[in-house]
Amino acid sequence: MANFRRFRPDDLNKLSKCNLDPFTETYDLGFYLQYYAKWPSLFQVAEDQHGNIIGYIMGKLESSPDVYRFSEHYLPWHAHITAVTVAPGARRLGIGKLLTEQLELAADAGDAWFVDLFVRVSNHKAITFYKNMGYSVFRVVKDYYGEHSTDPTLSSEDAYDMRKPMKKDVKREHVREDGEKHEVDPSDVW
Amino acid sequence: MSSYRYGRPALKSSVDVQLQTAFSDGNWSTVIRLATKRAAALKDPYYEAIKMCAESQLDGTAEKCGVVVAIDDLVKSKKTPDIETIELYEWACRDFFDYEVEYADTLGPLRVRWAKANPGSPLALQCLQSCLEKWDLVSAQQIATSLDKAYANTADRRYMFWNITLTFLLSISPQCTGASRKVYSLLAARQLERAADLTENSAKLEATDRGLLTEEEICLYYRVLLSHGTKDEFISRFKSHKLGAISQLKEGRKLLLCEGLDALETWAEWELIYNLCREALTLGLEGATSPFFVCNLQIWRKFASAASKVADSDSALGEVQAILKRYIELKDKASAMYKKNLSLALLETTFRLPATPLNPSNYTPGLSPRVVQLGLFLDQYFERLSAFDDVKDYVAELSFEEIKTLMEDILPKLLDENADKPRKTVLHALQYKLRYLLSTCPQTLSPQPSAANGEAQKPYQCLKTLIADASKSYRKINGDKDILDSIPRLDKDPRLDLALVMGTSLLKLSGLRPRTPDAGHSLWQDVDPELFLQAVLLLDTQLRETPGNTELRLLLVQLYLLLGCASYAYQLWTPLDVKRTIQDSLSPLFFDRISSLSPGLFQGTRPLMEPLRSFYSHNLCDRSPVRIWDAFAAGSYTSILDMTEYDGNLRKSCTVVMTLVEERRATRCYGGKIDVEIEEHALAENINDDTILVNKTDYGPFPNLESIHGPPIHEYLRLGPGLSNERSHLAFLSEQYMDLLHYKPPKDYKPSKASEVALRDREHTLETLSRLSNSLTGFLHQPATPTRLTAPETTYYTVLSLLSAALLIALSSPRSDPVPQTLSLLSKSIKSALASLRTSFFALAQQGTAAAANQQTQTHKTSTLPSACLHLTELPHLAAIRDTALAVRHSAAFVLAFHDKELARDRSGRSGLHREAMAEMKALSELAGRALAEVKGCVHRLKEALAEAGWLDRLLGLVFAEEGEDEGELGKVVEEVVGGRAAAEEWAGRVVESWREGVKGWGMVRME
Repeated sequence: MANFRRFRPDDLNKLSKCNLDPFTETYDLGFYLQYYAKWPSLFQVAEDQHGNIIGYIMGKLESSPDVYRFSEHYLPWHAHITAVTVAPGARRLGIGKLLTEQLELAADAGDAWFVDLFVRVSNHKAITFYKNMGYSVFRVVKDYYGEHSTDPTLSSEDAYDMRKPMKKDVKREHVREDGEKHEVDPSDVW
Repeated sequence: MSSYRYGRPALKSSVDVQLQTAFSDGNWSTVIRLATKRAAALKDPYYEAIKMCAESQLDGTAEKCGVVVAIDDLVKSKKTPDIETIELYEWACRDFFDYEVEYADTLGPLRVRWAKANPGSPLALQCLQSCLEKWDLVSAQQIATSLDKAYANTADRRYMFWNITLTFLLSISPQCTGASRKVYSLLAARQLERAADLTENSAKLEATDRGLLTEEEICLYYRVLLSHGTKDEFISRFKSHKLGAISQLKEGRKLLLCEGLDALETWAEWELIYNLCREALTLGLEGATSPFFVCNLQIWRKFASAASKVADSDSALGEVQAILKRYIELKDKASAMYKKNLSLALLETTFRLPATPLNPSNYTPGLSPRVVQLGLFLDQYFERLSAFDDVKDYVAELSFEEIKTLMEDILPKLLDENADKPRKTVLHALQYKLRYLLSTCPQTLSPQPSAANGEAQKPYQCLKTLIADASKSYRKINGDKDILDSIPRLDKDPRLDLALVMGTSLLKLSGLRPRTPDAGHSLWQDVDPELFLQAVLLLDTQLRETPGNTELRLLLVQLYLLLGCASYAYQLWTPLDVKRTIQDSLSPLFFDRISSLSPGLFQGTRPLMEPLRSFYSHNLCDRSPVRIWDAFAAGSYTSILDMTEYDGNLRKSCTVVMTLVEERRATRCYGGKIDVEIEEHALAENINDDTILVNKTDYGPFPNLESIHGPPIHEYLRLGPGLSNERSHLAFLSEQYMDLLHYKPPKDYKPSKASEVALRDREHTLETLSRLSNSLTGFLHQPATPTRLTAPETTYYTVLSLLSAALLIALSSPRSDPVPQTLSLLSKSIKSALASLRTSFFALAQQGTAAAANQQTQTHKTSTLPSACLHLTELPHLAAIRDTALAVRHSAAFVLAFHDKELARDRSGRSGLHREAMAEMKALSELAGRALAEVKGCVHRLKEALAEAGWLDRLLGLVFAEEGEDEGELGKVVEEVVGGRAAAEEWAGRVVESWREGVKGWGMVRME
């Protein structure tokens, strides 16, 4: 049912199974193409037998700007998961996990120290999913999201910055056990 | 990125503060004065450039254009200006690019000169970037060549591959002329060939070597080889020991294998495909790659398919099975997705094997290996949402005996008696879907008895039984708390599947068929309204239960458009939130033909198609593909090629033409002002008669229970044939014709030599008419065109083609000669086309009346359909009458105005038009006037009819039997599913209200 391969721009004409799902954001063309232009191996898709895209992951390889090199929040060369989505009809088959693994392979090939991502603290399903894949909370970014996903009375929501060390981080220097206790401001995240 | 993009360029630091300040303040008169002084004093041409740049910011046309002249002089002089001057000039010309100033003839060559003189400067890179952003490939390629030479054998390999990539891009670009195309093709191919040889022949390649190292470089090589090389060259390299697909796979690179296999498939190189797939899959088993690295369904399918086509296919298929078996032994280690891929691969292989009985000694008819495999697959996966999609094509291949066995013996036994109810419900829903699928397969049709429910039945009876059975299951679910409680835990609400089965079965029973040009003139001539409306009601009721299901929502959007309820369809469409990037592929599902169906929708507070227009304006405003420099900077060479191709297709998208045309048609409906002629529109810059317009409409999200033997469901639901190159071109040309008729010179345009200008205008008009006549005729006569248009569309475009030819004759025939007979023939054809368009539409009401008087002969309820309903679903036809009549009327007015102008130009009266031609035009205009009055009358009657009381009862009377009438069995079934007649009233209200809104919009449409 599924093929895993690198994204191609023509896939943008086949995104409906994923992007008509209200929980999947549709971005500007430039946003997708920026990722494809700069990090093609970190933009992977799963397609069904008819060529419809039923899942994709977009990621990037980067470090914090040099100007922050001496900041405690400086991030060394790492991969970041920007978006991962699976069409409702293709869930519970491990497609999200496989896409994430593909990105991790590309991150290792790109010599990254770790892979990181942001997730709402209320998104328990996603947090469990990533924990099962070896990710752990590195820090809590206070009020990272402008609105709360479940409580309309709240005007913001915290994010977990979760990480998984890559092969390069042999000594596991870039992860920590008690990440939930480390709180930072959104202004500390670049 | 160049600084001018963000504002004024910075002046050289050597420029004095006074001038710097005036420049940064935009105090242009001061800048001109000071720069003139400095230029005279210092003899530095840079100050001349500052002066020119400042003058270009003034209002006067001469001052504005001074900089263009200066650039032209500079280009001709062969001098190399300094980079700051180039930056200044580029900024000053920013509004002229693509119009008065062609970058490739002006700034591009200046940038090339500078970069060639200073290849080692970082600013040379900026020159390359500027040329790329203006998509001046000629200049960019020259700069890249200079950079490559300057940085040859350095560790930064990008320069070499920028050069090659740009040489290749140029060789396939329209910017490259015939003679040089071959040179650039050879150049790109040779450079890569040399690099490939170096890689193959070197023990170890260093970053400074000019070989192929990275996956991107290697894939670029193969792309160029595929385009400019021979098949043999490609195959030879594809099998080679270093750059071959298998060697690359061993290095963890699978992109090449996937791309290469596609190419080999187009060449039918089955032996090689078979060998490569076998090797690739074996690598996973032997641990050379991670086990499931290439375990894609695509690879398995290609493997099995190639094995069935090679010389010794029996042994090859045996090998496929052996490898598959080894993978299945590893299955426990695989993720759910790969397990499923393996199961599907097993199915694929079984279906490619020659048909043999499972056990010849104990042969059971129908129990073939194919049926057994399907049973095994469904045993594992029947609860998955995708189970039906996974097996439907295989099931459609089965013979009658096999189908019977699958449906009667295998599927019912997948669950035992004690299985829990939700699982049983899911299995039943799947069985109903398969029964529907089988009703669309030829092997289940007469003369054989239908297997859709295992009994000998006619197809329509089979669908009726299916609806009755599905409705029983539906009601059973609704009446069982345990099942209802379990629904959130299931992959999908089984009621949704049941509703889809019932809905599509009702649509089929109603007689709905794809609206091809030969389809009846009214929806109601094709379909039984009772069954059609029952289907809509049933599906609409289901959407209230499962509002988040996009498949159902899209299906209903199409059904309501078909029913003429555009405003309600729009209400359903809006929550789908089709925005930004997905608009190009999904917007046609709602917006195609929308101005002809419901122009009133464009009268909302926010322009209806604004998001679509802004998407294109934003992403196509530059000539270069969006984010292309990012791909160059990152060394993503295949991304560069793909992004260029995508950009080219987006600029030629049928959806772009649809956006422009629909908005313009709606604007004209209400007498709005059209800002720019369609040909001059920035989005239409790349469109001419030779452009192949691309349709990328995405039908993926539609539910599709149909088999491959018939059209997919979306073809049944469209208002007419989908977007196409032919229809888009005809629409584009028709708008050009309208632009010609409606052209008015600007009010402040008062030429001094009015007579000369009038003569030039006349020539331009004749040239345009001749071109449009030829183009319209050309597209109308293309072989595929008849299947790409509805009948009213064909008539409309035919009339425009006839009108343009008629006008050309009327305007160009000298008064001294007799009027060519062709004019009268054309006029006759126009009259006859308009008459047939009117007759076929207005006859609908008569047919309705006649049918009412002859109820006994009717097989369905068309007879009881209010006559207004007959027109409400045919509003695009009404729009075609209006558009055609208006085109005739405006053409006649154009001819008469032309005559008056000619008389004013030449008082002798000799250049005026023929009296016969004028009379012919007047006659046409009168005829068109009558047609428009009829359209107006029709809209008025519709409005009056819809204002009458009792519409809810009428509509519900169509869907359900009136009190005392004998209600059909399907009516009862639907009534039970939707919760009774009372529950359907709200739905009927929405439908009628939407009709009223649509007609209200039509009531405001101008008929002049």
